[in-house]
Amino acid sequence: MKGRFSWFNATSITFGFAFLYIPILLLVIFSFNESKLVTVWAGWSTKWYGSLLQNQGLKDAAWVTIRVALMSATVATVLGTLAAITLVRMGRFHGRTLFSGMIFAPLVMPDVITGLSLLLVFVALGFDRGFWTITIAHITFTMCYAAVVVQARLQDFDKSVEEAAMDLGATPVSTFFQVTLPIIAPSVISAWLLAFTLSLDDLVIASFTTGPGATTLPMKIYSQVRLGVTPEINAISTILIGIVTVGVLSAAFFTKRQTDRAERERRKAFGATG
Amino acid sequence: MVVATAPSQANAASSQRAGPRTAAPQTGFAPWKNPDLSPMVRFEGITKRFDDFVAVNNVTIDIYEKEFFALLGPSGCGKSTLLRMLAGFERPTEGRIIVAGQDITDMPPYERPVNMMFQSYALFPHMTVERNIGFGLKQEGMSKDKIEERVDEAMGMLELRQFAKRKPNQLSGGQQQRVALARAIAKKPRLVLLDEPLGALDKKLRQQAQFELMRIQETTGTTFIIVTHDQEEAMTVASRIAVMEKGLLQQVATPGDIYENPKTRYIAGFIGDVNVFEGTVSKVSEGCIEIDAADGYKFKTKSSESVTVGQKVGLALRPEKIRIGREKPNSDVNVIPGKVEDIGYLGSISHYHVRTAAGERITALRANAAHTVEQSITWEDAVWLDWPVDAGVVLTG
Amino acid sequence: MRARISDLKRWYVIGAPFLWLLVFFLIPFFIVFKLSLSDVATAIPPYTPTFSWSKGISAFISQLDFENYTFLFSDPLYINSYLSSLKIAFFSTILTLLVAYPMAYGMARAPKSWQPTLMMLVILPFWTSFLIRIYAWIAILKPEGFLSLFLIKLGLISEPLQIMNTTTAVYIGIVYSYLPFMILPLYASLEKINPSLLEAAQDLGSQPWRAFWQVTFPLSMPGVFAGCLLVFIPAVGEFVIPDLLGGSDTLMIGKTLWTEFFNNRDWPLASAVAVLLLLVLIIPIVLFQRQQEMEREAGR
Repeated sequence: MKGRFSWFNATSITFGFAFLYIPILLLVIFSFNESKLVTVWAGWSTKWYGSLLQNQGLKDAAWVTIRVALMSATVATVLGTLAAITLVRMGRFHGRTLFSGMIFAPLVMPDVITGLSLLLVFVALGFDRGFWTITIAHITFTMCYAAVVVQARLQDFDKSVEEAAMDLGATPVSTFFQVTLPIIAPSVISAWLLAFTLSLDDLVIASFTTGPGATTLPMKIYSQVRLGVTPEINAISTILIGIVTVGVLSAAFFTKRQTDRAERERRKAFGATG
Repeated sequence: MVVATAPSQANAASSQRAGPRTAAPQTGFAPWKNPDLSPMVRFEGITKRFDDFVAVNNVTIDIYEKEFFALLGPSGCGKSTLLRMLAGFERPTEGRIIVAGQDITDMPPYERPVNMMFQSYALFPHMTVERNIGFGLKQEGMSKDKIEERVDEAMGMLELRQFAKRKPNQLSGGQQQRVALARAIAKKPRLVLLDEPLGALDKKLRQQAQFELMRIQETTGTTFIIVTHDQEEAMTVASRIAVMEKGLLQQVATPGDIYENPKTRYIAGFIGDVNVFEGTVSKVSEGCIEIDAADGYKFKTKSSESVTVGQKVGLALRPEKIRIGREKPNSDVNVIPGKVEDIGYLGSISHYHVRTAAGERITALRANAAHTVEQSITWEDAVWLDWPVDAGVVLTG
Repeated sequence: MRARISDLKRWYVIGAPFLWLLVFFLIPFFIVFKLSLSDVATAIPPYTPTFSWSKGISAFISQLDFENYTFLFSDPLYINSYLSSLKIAFFSTILTLLVAYPMAYGMARAPKSWQPTLMMLVILPFWTSFLIRIYAWIAILKPEGFLSLFLIKLGLISEPLQIMNTTTAVYIGIVYSYLPFMILPLYASLEKINPSLLEAAQDLGSQPWRAFWQVTFPLSMPGVFAGCLLVFIPAVGEFVIPDLLGGSDTLMIGKTLWTEFFNNRDWPLASAVAVLLLLVLIIPIVLFQRQQEMEREAGR
């Protein structure tokens, strides 16, 4: 949609983004506050970051969180990509509605239900709760997000490219690895990044499915937040925001560079005339 | 200049086609020749710049009531921008647009007495055919009964009644095109704009649709302005054609004039074959121009084109205007010797492709009458080409 | 014969995600349901009966009953939490739509070259931790927080505002956290609208405001629908927001479930709460799935 970009449009965008970003900006700024009061400015300091490094419990939690996120994002991306192919390319099969229901429902399912039901299945199966149960739980809900991201890309790519590969003698499997996967690669990478950050963020599902000895960072932050606002939480939050921001921006940068290069090559091929 | 106001005797047959629409000037519909008429639409020194790109450069055109006017040119020539300025979607950087005596340059699109048929049809996907056609009438606050009546009238005119309850995506391309046209004429605007209206149709449907457009334009008596890049389409439907290239207006003329008296090499190449000789003006005298061709030939042609001695010009010649024979004609201008290289036999006529001594390839046309068989010309024959002084057209652009 | 083989091969692709979701998403619901019929016990796991082959299936089934459900309906606390969750979710969905629509509309009309950046700016908070974003609001809304300080400085109020630990804070929290979920589908459907449709409407005499209601808004309905479901369904079961921003009088079912599970360690009752919550949400979830399938069909 194109149209005259009016003052009304500009104002609503400005206010909208102010609403979205001011809370985050305040949080980041006050992580550098000298004072222990998080709403009164008392000069620059990085001392709260220093005190984070002393906090062994926080560091342990961060390490658990990162391992869970790496593991679950990777498995979820593989399963999610297969699920996306199923949704877009497999046409009708028995259980299709059930399958798509199981992909879309977790996207909106309240965390408390997902968390509780996963816990009960782990108990029923007799799994020891801890690192692995959190990982399995995260794979389950993040694979659905991964599937949706990859599905969007698969949908708007020309199926005849795959057909051409098979016509030239490639088997379905080698077609997938030589043709399909390279084309959908950017979306697979975004799917992985999304799964990774969703796992990094999750509090509720991890709280249900964890066991002794496996405390994730959000759980640690949550227990401290309940006691009140402290500059240390601001500092750890700022670090997490920083990681996500750098991740999202670099992903966007690579995608843009890729499309720019493709555009340049296309122009060159057509003999740019201006 | 003689003002042609009535169809001449000779053209009585062709003027039997109803209504004022008649592409050829000889039937007499030529309001642009009548100094007493004021134009329906006047583009007055219109310039449109997008940043540093000049899309339309100082264009002035008058369009008269009941005309079927075509804006013709390649994509990016500014024709669509001109139309969009008339509809009110773009504002000219300079100049004024006057419709029926009223300056509408700054009028918003929803107040203009103009309706447009969009290139993509722009049918509202969430409304039925009926509601699409009635949309404009509803905006006027017309009563339900009256809207129904007018919609029905428009649907009848375009044979759409059986699709009234369908949504646009349940229609074929040709049907969608008719709905778009019905929607544009339902309000009975004084001016209907058509932006590449038939671009999405295949060739056969296109030709049908062209005649349908002409029929609708005749029966409604509305002024139509069409934007197209298809020369044949413009020649078929239009009473006059404005040719544009790179934002500049090249020529405004009837289809006949465009064919007979093109101004530029680009326009000369529009329809049919044309031979163009390059040369330099050697003499200008009372309606005659003499040209020295590059390879030593001398041409003379009747022309009112204002040129100066020494100017480089082209001389355009239609193949059917060139005579071909074995005997040297007794004239020293407009004569070229050559050798027949190829013959295209097309039943009643033949194309002769002749190579001149200078290496130029010229096409001439000749009727295949039975009594000429004995002196028929064949491959490798040495021939003479010549043409009368009123056959050539001087091209300055 | 060939068809059968390729059918089999398809299941190599379908099988893994299908089985995974079956085991870890679908079957758990049956276990939740079974547990909701059990009794709480001081044991590990904290419920009876536990299934054992020696006692047999019929003995196991005979111990299940609907006691937990009768309890849920007899104590107004639970009914009220359901109703209040639905109410809060409903109104915050509408509020989110009201905030998101002008933004998405502005984004769709913004110059093409800005649009990737604007998208990025919407996605970025969506990827940032939910918990952290809620936490950020505590510092703003608490009585000595930024908002009160700011308004006192402007002279608009003299006493600190009491927003923190009220239902108002919950509304703000939900609108804030779910805003990107609303903007993205709205933007996607607005951006798809062919600009010539609006030109056509104006050309036929429709003023910009009317053209918006006659053309733009109806055509953005798929986005409105998807966005509302994406906000409403999870908001009904929201736990973190009412827990951190809401007060003791803010009843929400997600919080009730959490309390039953973690504080009272009553797993069977928590399961019964979950089953009823799921029953409430099943219709919107099915609607959401069908809408997504329709989008996918339309996309090819």
